[in-house]
Amino acid sequence: MKWHWLERGKGRAGHRLSGTALFSDLGERELRVVEAFAHERQFLPDEVVFDAGEDGQALYVVVSGRVAVIAEGAGDRPLAELVAGEFFGEMGLLDGAPRSAQIRALEPTTLVVLPRTEFDRLMVSHARIASCISLQLARHLGRRLRAMLEIAPAREAS
Amino acid sequence: MSLLRYRAGPLVWSGNILATCLLLFFFQKILWLVVPFILALVLHYLLAPLKLRLLLRGVSHDAAAAMVSVAAFLVCALPVVYGFPRLLGDVAGLHETLLRYIGGGIRLLTDVLSDLEARSAFLAESGARAMLETQLGGFFEHFTEKYLPGIVMGLMVWSPSLLLVPFIAFFMLRDGWRFRRLLLRAVPNAYFERSLALIDAVDRTARQYFVGLLQLTLLDTLCLAAGLWVIGIDGALMLGLLAAVLAWIPFVGSVIGCLLVVLVVATDFPGQPGVAYAAIGLFVAVRLLDDFVFMPVTVGKSLNMHPLVTVLMIFIGGAVAGVPGLMLVLPVLGVVMVLGESAGQLLTDPRLHARHAHAKALELRRVTRDLRID
Repeated sequence: MKWHWLERGKGRAGHRLSGTALFSDLGERELRVVEAFAHERQFLPDEVVFDAGEDGQALYVVVSGRVAVIAEGAGDRPLAELVAGEFFGEMGLLDGAPRSAQIRALEPTTLVVLPRTEFDRLMVSHARIASCISLQLARHLGRRLRAMLEIAPAREAS
Repeated sequence: MSLLRYRAGPLVWSGNILATCLLLFFFQKILWLVVPFILALVLHYLLAPLKLRLLLRGVSHDAAAAMVSVAAFLVCALPVVYGFPRLLGDVAGLHETLLRYIGGGIRLLTDVLSDLEARSAFLAESGARAMLETQLGGFFEHFTEKYLPGIVMGLMVWSPSLLLVPFIAFFMLRDGWRFRRLLLRAVPNAYFERSLALIDAVDRTARQYFVGLLQLTLLDTLCLAAGLWVIGIDGALMLGLLAAVLAWIPFVGSVIGCLLVVLVVATDFPGQPGVAYAAIGLFVAVRLLDDFVFMPVTVGKSLNMHPLVTVLMIFIGGAVAGVPGLMLVLPVLGVVMVLGESAGQLLTDPRLHARHAHAKALELRRVTRDLRID
């Protein structure tokens, strides 16, 4: 049995989530807590992570590789591409609505998956992690809203 | 990519009931393992929140499990060490105590029958009291030789497997999350999110049922102990606890608990049938409270089942596996229902199958890329 709490920490940079936007404000100890609840999945190029319309059961963080966000009915042209450090699937956890787009891996991709129950548990029972994640989510949604507002007039003009 | 909600049909329901019966039949055969496993599961559910607190403070899974287990062991071991000499003394006098209380119960019964015979000529002619005295007297006269060795042997056979409980609970606490990860690692990507939901649902159902059952036992114990204390019975808390634990066996358990208390009352208050009637009244009142107030807010939350199905399944459980079947049928059915519905959902979703087939084809293309024959 390893007594990890007696070990010296491996440092913030040693964690696979340390370079991700969602967890950028967390310290080493908090990252260790989040990683204790997370799973890792590998995807092949072109493999579907989830489809639009599915129930959202988890939040995904891209650890390595690249994924495409594909809106329903938009053909194969992606709405956006997400690279290492970015995250997706948060909307399904926040409002309980079905997935709004399909996610497809573009190259060999490793994702860290935080299941809904664990996400909810962290948000309810760990004040520091909850406030850091909430702040990052708010920033993320703000950026997305700003981007949409910038795109809308351009579309109307064209 | 269907948005249509899946609803279990008659086929899934029949499968659930059949699977529940088969599991109960199988469990009855390996009861020596099932009972410690379930007790360990309950212990694990009780200790898991403490482990979670440590995890949230940054302690590793292994260290958190070890710390919680040591703390729980100390909490349990201290009262046992402290109360062991007294317990030995009680066990030595158990036989006499048992016969004294049974004698008190028989006395109460014969008093009641004498009273009834004095009022009813029909009963007096039937000689019910004399018959009862002869039959019960004969039963308890040979009780020590006939039944006590069997009971003691049964306890001795069961004790080693009950000693497994803390070990299983410790490993559940320490390695439960590893087992969960192992299971999920075996699941293909296409089915991963659904499997996460399935494992959570199974875990939630079992946890809510067993933790609910413990909450129900606590509420029953408090109500019965308070009532018995008001009536003036000694050892009210112990009797309340015993009766509440017996109530884990549906229908029969409550009756046995009530009989137990009536025996104690009849012995401690000879010639005062009013106290026994008060105890019976208390049991009926607590039973009603249980069914209409406590049950829906504790165990009822875990099993989303129609009351008629619940009652029918209890009878079926009893018929298939006796007393263990009565006790296990509801949690087993609850878990089987979740598994059945999820299996139905997974097997009838063509999109998931297509995605899995696509992923396999991608993998095949990847591994055979350099294996072309020109």
